[in-house]
Amino acid sequence: MYKAEWRIIGPVPAFGETPLFMPGDRVRILVRWPVGHYRVPIYLRGKLGIVETIIEPPAVDNEQEGYGRNAGEKRHYYRVAVQLTEIWPAYAGSSRDSLHIEVFETWLERIET
Amino acid sequence: MTATEHLVKRLPNDVGGTPADPIQIADHPLEPWEKRCHALADVLDFHKIINTEEKRRGVESLGTELVNKLSYYERWIAAFANILFQKAILSPSDLARKMQEVEARWPTREK
Amino acid sequence: MSSQDQAISSTHEHGVHDHADADVSEPARPGYYEVMETAVRELLIERRFFEAGEIRHQIEVLDSRTPALGAKVVARAWVDPEFRARFLANGRTACEELGITFYDDTQLIVLENTEKVHNLIVCTLCSCYPRPVLGLPPDWYKLKPYRARAVYEPRAVLAEFGTIIPDDVEIRVSDSTAQVRFLVLPRRPEGSEHLTEEQLAALVTRDTMIGVVPAMLKPDGDAS
Repeated sequence: MYKAEWRIIGPVPAFGETPLFMPGDRVRILVRWPVGHYRVPIYLRGKLGIVETIIEPPAVDNEQEGYGRNAGEKRHYYRVAVQLTEIWPAYAGSSRDSLHIEVFETWLERIET
Repeated sequence: MTATEHLVKRLPNDVGGTPADPIQIADHPLEPWEKRCHALADVLDFHKIINTEEKRRGVESLGTELVNKLSYYERWIAAFANILFQKAILSPSDLARKMQEVEARWPTREK
Repeated sequence: MSSQDQAISSTHEHGVHDHADADVSEPARPGYYEVMETAVRELLIERRFFEAGEIRHQIEVLDSRTPALGAKVVARAWVDPEFRARFLANGRTACEELGITFYDDTQLIVLENTEKVHNLIVCTLCSCYPRPVLGLPPDWYKLKPYRARAVYEPRAVLAEFGTIIPDDVEIRVSDSTAQVRFLVLPRRPEGSEHLTEEQLAALVTRDTMIGVVPAMLKPDGDAS
């Protein structure tokens, strides 16, 4: 059973260890146009969504990993929920329908309400 | 906006939301070479010679025409060849010579 | 195409193909890409990057991974609520509990279908699929029409598989792009209460775990 008094104060997390976003955060998927390898589909760029879960542990940026050396900057991926009506203005299905996708931290910005 | 930007900006595999045909609900059992090709991908990944993301990027780098015209495992093996050359693990002439040697194991076609 | 794996195996192991039997029993000449695959593999083995046995073993691994594995896990989740909770919390460790090892670095998120939510899985950018527990994906999953349309018109896509989802049920499409893979936990069919775990597993097809069809009782009400 976890007790708050057991938490050790003092260790400083390294860059990328602390997630920048929390479940429930409203986020925008950035508009960016990489030349070469990317893993954020064009249909999602600029769309608004909500962070559903933080994928643990932090992992390598797959856009860098694709260029070899089995390396890249490590940060968190987030499972983000986006309404299909947000993605497709003419979406014909239910307004409840949603898309969920893993997005690397460097592709997200927080939306302040 | 130049006339060709869109070709660079959208990778050939980025098809989400693009116009497409009805789904053909078909499947085919893998050819033996396709299964060996899949096993090769896994073994290359285990040995960190070519990781899965490199394979994806290698397939994308084949370009739109090859991505659209080659089958799934044909794209993989062509991508592997290119990546192995880039990593100086094989050279193009190594592979060309070996491919000729493999082909020579079958009698030449009589025409 | 005629069965070639024996001939190809002996070719790469012995280096020489026996031309003596040049009749109908001789296997067809390999195509260009098969020649490329053979050449790449043999060069890498000659240069000691890996051993031939590793390829053979990985083929055995791949052959052993079929939707029957996923079906067993789903059936267990249907009958055992505590296992179901563990399965939903961490799909990979729950599979490992049942002896299904994951030979790669992927995680597994299990997506539960309910009366309010229907899940569907796609990989628009390539063909990400939970191979350790389902085996290799079908062609339609890897081709453009499914990948393009599942994120744009999931209800029309489901209808092409014969699945109609009412408007008051949310469709959740999961597009795999990174290290996480997905498996749909389909709803247990009504009227299946009397079935054994093994009979339940027989109701769980590959397509129910991708999310394009619901799990159903066989037409005559039993699972045989």
